[in-house]
Parts: sequence; C-alpha cells; structure tokens
Amino acid sequence: MKMKHLKGIALAAAAVVGLAACGGSSSSSDTTAAAGGDYSNLKVAVVYIGVPGDAGYTYQHEQGIKELEAELGITVTRLENIPEGAESAATFDQLAAEGYNLIFGTSFGYMDPMLEVSAKYPEVCFEHATGYKTSTNMGTYFGAAEEARYLSGIAAGAASPTGKLGYVAAFPIPEVVRGLNAFTLGARSVNPKATVQVTWTSTWFDPAKEKEAAQALLQAGADVLGMHQDSTATGEAAMEAGAKWVGYNSDTLAGNFPDTWLTAPIWDWGPYYIKAAKSFAAGTCDVSQFYGNMADGTVKLGTFGSSVSAETQALIAEKAAAIIDGTFAPFTGPIKDNTGKEVIAAGVVAPLGDLLGMQYLVEGVIGEIPKS
Amino acid sequence: MIIGNYRIELEPRLSTPKWLYAAVPALSLLFAFVVGGVFIGLTGHSPIGTLSLLIERGYASTKGITNTLGSATPLICTGLAAAFAFRMNLFNIGEEGQMYLGMIGSAWAGIVLAGHLPGFVAVPMVLLFGALCGALWVLLPAVLRAKLGTSEIVSSLLLNYVALNLVNYFIFGSRGIFRDPTTSFPQGRLIEESARLGSFGTTRTYPTVLIAVALAIGLYWFMKRSNYGYETSVFADSPNTARYAGMSSTKLTLSVLLFSGALAGLAGSMYVVGPAGKVDPGLLQIGLGYAGIVVAALARYNFVAVILTAILFAGLREGGASLQISSNPVPISIAVVLQGSVLLFALGGEVFRRNRLRIRRVQQVSVAS
Repeated sequence: MKMKHLKGIALAAAAVVGLAACGGSSSSSDTTAAAGGDYSNLKVAVVYIGVPGDAGYTYQHEQGIKELEAELGITVTRLENIPEGAESAATFDQLAAEGYNLIFGTSFGYMDPMLEVSAKYPEVCFEHATGYKTSTNMGTYFGAAEEARYLSGIAAGAASPTGKLGYVAAFPIPEVVRGLNAFTLGARSVNPKATVQVTWTSTWFDPAKEKEAAQALLQAGADVLGMHQDSTATGEAAMEAGAKWVGYNSDTLAGNFPDTWLTAPIWDWGPYYIKAAKSFAAGTCDVSQFYGNMADGTVKLGTFGSSVSAETQALIAEKAAAIIDGTFAPFTGPIKDNTGKEVIAAGVVAPLGDLLGMQYLVEGVIGEIPKS
Repeated sequence: MIIGNYRIELEPRLSTPKWLYAAVPALSLLFAFVVGGVFIGLTGHSPIGTLSLLIERGYASTKGITNTLGSATPLICTGLAAAFAFRMNLFNIGEEGQMYLGMIGSAWAGIVLAGHLPGFVAVPMVLLFGALCGALWVLLPAVLRAKLGTSEIVSSLLLNYVALNLVNYFIFGSRGIFRDPTTSFPQGRLIEESARLGSFGTTRTYPTVLIAVALAIGLYWFMKRSNYGYETSVFADSPNTARYAGMSSTKLTLSVLLFSGALAGLAGSMYVVGPAGKVDPGLLQIGLGYAGIVVAALARYNFVAVILTAILFAGLREGGASLQISSNPVPISIAVVLQGSVLLFALGGEVFRRNRLRIRRVQQVSVAS
C-alpha cells in the first residue's frame, strides 16, 4: 500500500471503529452465525514468524490459539516459519483465496503485506499483532507488557547485590525501548543506584548470538539479566554463570533454571483471540487497535523463582494490584532520560501515544538509541 | 565397493549420450519424490495427495504459478550471478550481500533521484543503481583475487555479514535517509511512486520477470557467440593456456566477478521496484542469494536452465509453505525435507551423468583346496 493512501485508510478505519463501538452489540444479534455458538462459518488461520517450540513468543501465541480452539470448538490452521517482508503477501493471499475468513499474523513485518492483501479481500478479516496500520477489514493487537516489565524490574533490582544489571535486547524500536525503560524504573524503585547496561543483538531469534551478548554483559559485571528476545538463551548464559535472570513471553521453562529464574512478563493471548473470533462470527471484523494490559489479563507476571524473597513478592503484588485498579502506572513523572533531561514532568502519567513512540532511554540505562 | 560376488564401480564417461541430459534430472526428481514421499507417509499424510497439492499450489494453479514466478524473479538473477562466476571457477559466494547492496542502492536512487522523473527513466535508473552497488560490493574480493590471489570464497562470504548488518543499521540502528520518517516504527522509506512497477493484474508477478528471463537468454547467447565468452571459457578450462594466448587474467577475473555482483545486485533492485518498494529487512530472512548458488548448480551453470531451476526452486518453496493450508496440514519441516531431497538428488544425479555405473562379477579365488 502506498504511503499517501494511508491517511485516508486511517480515517476510514477510525470511522469504522467508531461505528462498531456504537452499534456492535445491537447488530450482532441479527447476523449469521453467532447465536447458538455455531462457529461453522469461521475459517481461521494464524501465521507465525517462528515455531511454537520456541518456548517464547510464538509458543505463547500458540497457547492462545489453543484456547480459542477449545472455546469455540473450531480448528485453526497454523502456518509456521513464514518470513517477514514483501514475499509474505503470497502466503496471506493464498490463505484468503482458500476461503479463510479470519487471519491472524503475529509479526511486525507482516504489516504492509497484510494491509495490501486486505484491500484485495474486503470480506476477509485480518488481525495483525504488534503493528499500527489498520483498514476497514484489518485491526491490530498488542499489549502493555511494560506493566509486567516494571514488576519484573522490581524482582531484578531486589536480587542484585551490586546494582549492576544487564539487558539483552533485540532492536532499538519503541516496543523494546519501552520494556527496557519500565524494567529499569522497576529496578530503581527498590534499588535507586541500580544501572542497566543494554546490548542490542539485531535479531529476534538467534540463540547463539543472544547467549554471547548475555555472556559479555555478565563479564562486564552484571549480576542480574533481563532480556527482550524470542529465545531463552539469556537464561542459559545466566545459569552457567550463576547469575539471576528475568525471562520474557512465557514462563513454561522456569523449572529448567532452578535458583537463577526470577520471573517473567508473559502474554496470555487467549482472551483476545476468543474475543476477535466471536466478534467476527457475529458479523464484525474488529478493526480497532487492541492494546491489552494486566487489568484485562492479556499481560501477566509469570511464576516467581525461589530466590525472589517473600518481602519482594509482597511488594510486587501490591504494585500489581495498583496497576490493575489504575492507581499506578510505571511511566509516571518525574522521569529523566539518561542524559539528564526531564522527559515526563512530575505527576504526569505518560499517555499511550507517547509510550507507543518512545524514543528515549530513562535515567539508569547505560546505552544509546538512534537519534531522529 | 564390493558386495557379495559383485564389484560396483563408477567410471568416467568419455561422452555423454544426449538422452541422459533429460533422463538424469527426470529420474532424480522421481527419486526425490519417492524419498520425500516416505517422510510424508511417516507423518501420516498421503504422499500422492501431498505431492499433487504441492504441485497445484506451487505450479499448476493460476495463483500458484504467478506467486512462484514472482518469487523466482530475483532468484533468476542471483542464479545467473552464481552461474556467471562459477563457470569461470570464480566462486562468488557473496550473492546474498551483493543483493542487499542492490536493495540499498536502488532504494537510495528511488528516494533521492527518482522524484519528478517519468517511470521509463526512473525504473531503469533505479535498477542500474542496484546493479552498480552489487558490483561495488564484490570489488574488494575481486581485486584481492585478481591481484593477490586471495580466495574470493572467504572474502565474498564474509562481506555478506557486513551487508546484513548494514541493512539492519539503516533500518533499526539509525535514522537516516532509508528510514520511514513518518513513524517511530523501524521500517524503510518508500521510494518514489514513479520508480515502482505494478504487478500484472491481481497477481504477484512483476514485469521484472521479463527482464530476468531476457537477461538469461541474452547472457546465454552472448557467452556463446562473443570473443569475451570464448576467452572466459578458455580461461576456465586452463588459465595457463589463456595466458599463453595473451588473455589478461586480471581483466577477466575482475570483469567476471564485477558482472556477477551486478547481477546479484539486480536481484535486490527487482525486489525494490517490485513488491517491496523500500529497504525491507524481510529480504534478510529468505536467503535468495544463497539459494541462487543452488539454483545455478542445479542448472549446471547454464544460463537458460537457470530460469527453469529458479522456477522449480521457488515453486517448491511457495508450494511447500502452503502445504500447511489444509485440513490435515503437512508441517513446514516436512516440506523442507522434500525440498532438500529434490536438491540433493538433482545434484547427486550429476554423478551418473558424468560417470558410468559398472557392476562386475568378481572371480572368487578359493583359498582352501
């Protein structure tokens, strides 16, 4: 899709969202299938960047898809290992041509291909994770991992005697920067002198490279690691060095890391997948920009490892409750960036729009991101 | 090798009968499908049903063949790039990186130079810039090879990783000309509309496929008929003979490697003027440069055959991935096994084209009397 059309699409999408919000529930009763829980008109497919066996990002989506299948009694077709970029359009095109009418894509790089194919198949509903472009038949879904990131930062800060933390991060994009900042804020809330050294790996899933990056951080003196990757390689490096670490995406492998596992921000996509499928079965393609959080259960904090003290767990539980009931947000001013400039004024809660485009590292992060 | 009373030997053929050129690839494909079919059967799927679905989704339906032709287009170029260099025993393994540079160079020209230019000027210019950048990326390995005899295999391969990181840097690590300025999300800036080609109708095939095919046929003709083609083939057979005949090995080495790099760069350009329209890190995930080497080897470095092997390869990928679209989906790993066995048998079949299989009865010498 060419750039100049985007504004029009965005406006159209906004209008549709508005209409859906007003009339969604009343119109659903008279459309085709929903009434008796009959979902035979749904043909659902999900396109994965990786494989569910990654014990991370794709694994967590697969859990959500399984919940969807169980709840609706349908079978979802999975496409694994589909590379991002322009060529992925062929895959989405083929799915739509084969009669799939609800198609989920879980990776950022599917955005433009999905948008392009969505224009060709207006009757098919496309849902794209982690992107920002929508159309009359394409919505997005993602969530506030930063809430659980903040909580996991508390566990990390409390577990670090030296206050030197490390963070293995994929790319310096807003999503990753946001998580890194939340992690740092959490760590410094219990350990005000804590610093977080960041390493950018330029890859989402490359266990060997991630492990090397983690080892380099450990050698530089970090005693607790956080990470934003699709694999658990950071944890392997931490375990070999006897350091503590915070996972991401999933806590399914927590038991593999006795003593070194702290916790992890994790995703629960099931409720969203069920909501989107039911909405479409009732006649409405959800073209909103869904942004789940801890309050609606999309984002959670994983199980605690044995080295998170009862005191820390209680503190985290207290903060989690405050996040869920809306009395606390991780990005509440005053917050300075790591050059000393104030980025959020005292008492101000950063609006979602600012979070989604975040382009600074908070005080305490040792590292850089590209300047605009 | 001796089995029982028989000795099995391979002996080189002095001449290859014509029918073998067709029979060996056909039998190789058949064997590959039999072996792949066993794996498919082991996972509880019908081998025949799966193969026919693969053929339908990859080649035999309108959508299948047009998708396949679309993804075969850059593959033809990287295949030609590999074939062109390998024919002269210059092993340019850097098509992957040269293709990335082609993407970068084309995007630069499409963003900076193409404004206000009509399409018939802008598109060729963008393609040319990509080819130029691809050639520049192989310049260092080419000079090292021509002047110092340094192995181009290692130097061209290593530059792939540099190119990969360059693309990542332009999109994820910096905020330069290549990055979409309208959003803080990391993605490429679209090139000027005039520098892009639309696909044929609603298909995913772009007019660049015609350029790729024309290039293959043109190269075939040129290398058969021209002095230059003759010189490179003499040089490939015997560098000493070529030198004795007064041919410059430096010139030939440099020109062959640079042109190979330009062809690989063109693959990246075609990705830009066609489906992508920008520097797209998605290209880093599909390995079209490395696949080009396989495509060239399958084609036995014959330029026209590269067209067919690129289509074969692209169809296996398109069809293989879409085998997952079914009520009884075939896992992607099985599709990859099938692709692998096709490639393995096709390359392995070469042994039987070049050699004759002899089975002789061995006279047993009796020791006990």
